[in-house]
Amino acid sequence: MEHSLFSKPRDLFLDIVNPRDYVQIDSVSHMYQNLKTSVQKPLKMILLYGKPGTGKSMLLHKLHHDLSKHQKVFMIDIPIIDESDFLRVLAQKIYSYVNREAITLTDFLELASAVNYAQTPIVLLDEAQLYSTLLMEKIRLISDARALKFVITLHKTQDEDIIAKEHFQTRIWESIELKNASPEELKVYIQKKLLKANCFDVANMFNDKNIQLISKLTRGNYRDANKLMFSLFSLYAWYEEKYPSKIKYNALKTKWIEMAAIHTGLIRA
Amino acid sequence: MLDIPSLEQRWLKYKIKRSLPYLLTVVGTIIVVITLNYFLNPDKVSIPLTIKKEVNQSKEGSKTSIHDEAMVLEPSMQFIQSIPVTAPDITTPEVNTPAKPLPVTPKKILPVQKNIPSPLPIIKNVPNTIPTPPMPKLIQSNPNSIKRDSATFNIHEIEDRFTNNSNPHLGLYIARYHYDNGNYSEAYNYALKTNAINNTIEESWLIFTKSLIKLGKTDQAKKTLQLYISQSDSEEAKNLLNSLNKEGTK
Repeated sequence: MEHSLFSKPRDLFLDIVNPRDYVQIDSVSHMYQNLKTSVQKPLKMILLYGKPGTGKSMLLHKLHHDLSKHQKVFMIDIPIIDESDFLRVLAQKIYSYVNREAITLTDFLELASAVNYAQTPIVLLDEAQLYSTLLMEKIRLISDARALKFVITLHKTQDEDIIAKEHFQTRIWESIELKNASPEELKVYIQKKLLKANCFDVANMFNDKNIQLISKLTRGNYRDANKLMFSLFSLYAWYEEKYPSKIKYNALKTKWIEMAAIHTGLIRA
Repeated sequence: MLDIPSLEQRWLKYKIKRSLPYLLTVVGTIIVVITLNYFLNPDKVSIPLTIKKEVNQSKEGSKTSIHDEAMVLEPSMQFIQSIPVTAPDITTPEVNTPAKPLPVTPKKILPVQKNIPSPLPIIKNVPNTIPTPPMPKLIQSNPNSIKRDSATFNIHEIEDRFTNNSNPHLGLYIARYHYDNGNYSEAYNYALKTNAINNTIEESWLIFTKSLIKLGKTDQAKKTLQLYISQSDSEEAKNLLNSLNKEGTK
């Protein structure tokens, strides 16, 4: 089964955020360039927001990957909820200040003023909606002091519009919204990902009808699309082993796409 | 690891669940259409009801009940009632003609034939075998169901049927009808057509020749009779030929 035609495509869609797997899509590419330009400006805080699965984390990882070659960049992809830990980790990673005891905001700002960098260090915070209001206020003070630049990502939810909160309203200088993929973008995303790994035969199996169905099921959510593709190619690998005659290589079977969607929970059956 | 068989079952349930509203909509639409059709076209439904009523009446009523039912179901054959009782001299050979050809007639005619064994004896026995008085009563009581029967006899309808099914007995009947009504050219035509379909019916040949005589073509009638006698040895034909020859000598 591991030598199956579909095992390689299946593994491509594992839900792992890796900047090397970044797929260039026109609209996302444009936003990424905007983000890079904004980072170079003397802005204190940049916000990246959008619905879950719109590629925020991937974009942040890509930014970290690209910027870390030229300047001091630190990324916190798993939120550090404890305030003293947060400052201690920042001091250690950016200023190489090792201290097992908790440090205060004043200590941190003194440390920041003592260390001079040619370019202001950048801190990338993923899932910023998980940080407490108090910690966000401290982040604001640090950015106001121009000790650090922050690029933060957060989910745009209908229940609570975090962007509307005061500390975001007054401090954010640049905000970029990421949107769900259109069917065309989803097609480009899937096919580019397959072609990048030389899976030409499998890439050719996707027709417009298949893409429309996948887009309908995932609602343009890249994470859901990855999960669906992983299940779909697992399913194809199984059929290839057990019933190879059932596979048609000119198009994906609607039935099997729906079965994969049932498996991933996109369809409630 | 995916459990494909279980996944296939879940998919099947999902498809059934998904297509159920569409199926219900289609079935509902069909029911609505049928119901609307039922209410918008009540005439179509009323015909069988009247038949039922009539059958019930006939069950309760007189011996003519079987006749009534047959008339309603096979109204087109009621024209037999209109055959004049005073039959012409043709009746004599008709009595002798066998009723063999009758089974050839289509199924629709059969119910009538149960009551009336042959068109030919009917001409003679109409007053005796069919009790005519009850008939008009039924016709008046339920005009819708037997409207066609009470209407004046329409020979064109039978002619159409003959055109459609080329039944020689219908052809013979039409020829006889026209002959009896003095329409000799039509009688000639239909007898000729009947002979073309079946050349063994004696009566048809006789009507053919008699029509020729009435039309003043006696010589042609004689030739036809001679030809027919040579093939069939018909006594009736011989008698007719003799009478023609006698008239010719006078």
